[in-house]
Amino acid sequence: MNWYAIQLECLLAILAVVVLLTDAFRPVRDARRIGLILSALVGLTLLYSFTMQPLGEAVFQGMYRLDTLALFFKRLFLLATAFVLLMSAEFVERIEAGRVEFYVLLLLCATGMLVLASANDFILMFVALELVTICFFVLTSYLRRQVPSLEAGTKYLILGALSSGLTVYGIAYLLGITGTANFEKLRAVLTEAPVGEATGLWFGMVLVLAGLGFKIASVPFQVWAPDVYQGAPTPVTAMLAVGSKAAGFVLLMRVLMTGLLPLEPVWGPVVLGLAGASLVYGNLGALPQRDIKRLLGYSSIGHAGYVLMGVAAVNALGVAAVLFYHGQYAFTTLCAFLAIVAVTRVTGRDDIASFAGLHRRAPILGLALFLAMMSLAGVPPLSGFFGKFQLFAAVIDRAQMDARYYWLAGIGAAAVVVSLYFYLNVGRAIYMQSSDRTDAIPVSWPVRVGLWICMGAMIGLGVYQRPLVDAALQAARVFGLE
Amino acid sequence: METLLFIAVMLPLGAAFVGFLVPASRPQWMRALALAATGVSLALTLVLFWQFDRQEAGYQFVFDLPWVPALNLSLKFGVDGISMTLLLLVSIVSFCGVLISHEIHERQKEYYILFLALTTGISGTFCTMDLFFFYFFYELAVIPMYLLIGVWGSLPPGRHGRTREYATMKLTLYLTAGAVLALVGLLTLYYAGGRTFDMVELMANLRLSEDRQWWVFACLLFGFGFLASLFPFHTWSPLGYAAAPTAASMMHAGVLKKLGAYGIIRLALPLMPEGARAWMDLLAVLCIFNILYAGWAALTQRDWKFVIGYSSVSHMGYVLLGIATLNVIGVSGAVLLMFAHGVMAALTFSLIGWFYHQAHTRDVFELRGLARQMPFIGTCMVMAAMASSGLPGFANFASELMVFLGAWQQGSTVFRIATVCAVWGIVVTATYLLWAVRSSFFGPLDERWKALSDARLAGHRLPYVLLIVVLLVVGFWPRTLTDIIQPTVKHAILREPVAMAQVDQR
Repeated sequence: MNWYAIQLECLLAILAVVVLLTDAFRPVRDARRIGLILSALVGLTLLYSFTMQPLGEAVFQGMYRLDTLALFFKRLFLLATAFVLLMSAEFVERIEAGRVEFYVLLLLCATGMLVLASANDFILMFVALELVTICFFVLTSYLRRQVPSLEAGTKYLILGALSSGLTVYGIAYLLGITGTANFEKLRAVLTEAPVGEATGLWFGMVLVLAGLGFKIASVPFQVWAPDVYQGAPTPVTAMLAVGSKAAGFVLLMRVLMTGLLPLEPVWGPVVLGLAGASLVYGNLGALPQRDIKRLLGYSSIGHAGYVLMGVAAVNALGVAAVLFYHGQYAFTTLCAFLAIVAVTRVTGRDDIASFAGLHRRAPILGLALFLAMMSLAGVPPLSGFFGKFQLFAAVIDRAQMDARYYWLAGIGAAAVVVSLYFYLNVGRAIYMQSSDRTDAIPVSWPVRVGLWICMGAMIGLGVYQRPLVDAALQAARVFGLE
Repeated sequence: METLLFIAVMLPLGAAFVGFLVPASRPQWMRALALAATGVSLALTLVLFWQFDRQEAGYQFVFDLPWVPALNLSLKFGVDGISMTLLLLVSIVSFCGVLISHEIHERQKEYYILFLALTTGISGTFCTMDLFFFYFFYELAVIPMYLLIGVWGSLPPGRHGRTREYATMKLTLYLTAGAVLALVGLLTLYYAGGRTFDMVELMANLRLSEDRQWWVFACLLFGFGFLASLFPFHTWSPLGYAAAPTAASMMHAGVLKKLGAYGIIRLALPLMPEGARAWMDLLAVLCIFNILYAGWAALTQRDWKFVIGYSSVSHMGYVLLGIATLNVIGVSGAVLLMFAHGVMAALTFSLIGWFYHQAHTRDVFELRGLARQMPFIGTCMVMAAMASSGLPGFANFASELMVFLGAWQQGSTVFRIATVCAVWGIVVTATYLLWAVRSSFFGPLDERWKALSDARLAGHRLPYVLLIVVLLVVGFWPRTLTDIIQPTVKHAILREPVAMAQVDQR
């Protein structure tokens, strides 16, 4: 057993079990405090992960990779988990029963994501994917007396189960035809064999793509996103937006750029089309939304489109852009959801109108939410700008050889303008509209600290991009693309 | 010297960050900080202007700091004749903008922070030599503008039937639409120039086939055209100015708008000469619309700010016409006009701010006989109107003359027609401005306006005097600026080989 490679996963799993057992024998009274402690512990794990070094070879019979890419995403998931736990601590009073189990499920979900970041084999990938998805089935419907939450849970369950079924069916096809589930061996087999002959291969590939498309909420597997984002408890929404999505993308890249790279002429145009369609659907769909979580649901479809631009480019810059984008998107989205949790705790409403005059009621929440929206829209000096800039650069790099990619860049450019409108609408509510309620919204110190970290990261990464760019480029080398 | 340039550009942004620490209960500290930052920045710019080598066509005071080496980005500043002129403009207008902002009483801390960020956004765009930072600084200016208009602006109800929230949203979306269009072009240049954003390297390495030049040039021309309020992408502009607070109107009409024309001159012309030749006839035709259509629209307005807003769209037509000539005198005239119009627009908007702040109306017909109550403001407004109509003695005259000469010299029929229309445009300008000044400032004084007061304190008069003095100095002695503009235009923009005569002169 190579414990070094799976130590982070083990730490999280042990943490989850310990919390569960503690609660069973000595029921926890102050769930909020437990949440804050867990958040701090996961934060420490994140710091610890920076001492780890990548392993050159795949371990566990080639199923598991601890390369720079895996480490990059593991850190990202740990970061997201720490913040989501912090958010949950603020949120937990709104949960009727099973408060501690809420944390435990989040921790298990995070464990699954950490494994996913390293998966180098279809079988391991599927098992880890199921761990994540099943945790989310429970988490999305956690507010069991609220109809929207139940609706979210049901939708996620049905579509999630369907997509899992599709994925496993596709895996079976690929495994049956090529005789291997390992990504690298698959690549070797495909490179040797003539590609055009096996229709079943394409079929299997499309099914696997469908399953991953569900995770990242890209068109045509996007319909669940707005409903689930709106109905699920806000910390769970944040986990879906940051963790689950990034996990989907790391898998997508591993599958496409390691295992199925020889089939690039086949899937390249498909990803290109999906990126364009997601950009259009997500950004146009967000225009008429009145509920901020639903708006973010549509916007997350749009962001899946942006990130797919980087995947579609199939070059080192594109992969690095995807990584940078996820790195900064985590801070931005967590900042937004943290502020939303703090506001809705008092107002109890999610509609954008209820954020009117927020800058007077709680200046820090107003500023944080506004900056997060501007970063999502891609405005400098915030980090979202540089993320989009790199994605566009990657696509136009590819367009130098294939002019079709200019169309994608054009759609992306139009989407930026459209998205600015609905993000600014949130800003307009915060700064330009006034509400009849002027009582101050209290902000607890852990939330304050979290918001300052996120805002600092958004501005820091937006102005001084170099550390994250270098890390992303280094991790992108895993695929050996140009 | 290099560091001086860096400080002159970044000081306002630095002050904006320091501003976060100023307690909100001490707005006067914040104002003093803003005044100091823009004042020092202006002083440094004047020092740089003094030290500027007038014989040299290339970049001077180059400041270079590698930023993201993996992507070949560097924070690189440098000025040549064109950017020096425009940096001077930003410094003057931003300093006057802070001076004029004494009328702001609400949420002053945030106001000055945003204003300072806006200033660096604009001056950074003018001075950077790196395409990435060109885009970065430009976009940096957009959001402060959105908030400045949305929070501190005011838009009296009128025929337009719009709110200031609508106006600011429209402005932001238009400017961003232009920016992303230009971004696609800029990134293509990055790859075609061997993966570099450095303008000097691009100038040397860029290889673009003719049909590529054609559409990349179009991306930049129309992308920046949005910003320069090129017809038919100008509709955001009068509405945005009308809704903006005084200082934001000054900054926007005075300098931010010039970024569009600057982008075309700095990037599109020298990098894609073939593309430029292909598009210039169309640009000249659009300029005719800019000049005459916007001038005609200004004639029908009742709101002072709309009059000046359309007037500025009309003037951008002259600037773009100067660019379209593609000869030294025309393009130099365009640059000089950018300066002259910037100062003039800032002056006019600041004067409107003075009486609007007291009278709470900007209606040309409602206001009557103001000159009796406020002789100083009245005199300044008459001078601004004369400058705007291109009377000799003001900087606008010299620059418009250069544009006309350039356009006529260009020789083709389209340009001959455009020149005639442009000269006719001067008449239109004079008509609406003199009419507006006469209605509001002369005639019998209305009882309602008895309570209005003139600018009497030296501090209140200073910005107006400063702006008028600049207009007159450049008007009487345009060589202060044309001497540095022309060599740059000749060698760096139109890239004419250095003639023997030039070498002899040195």
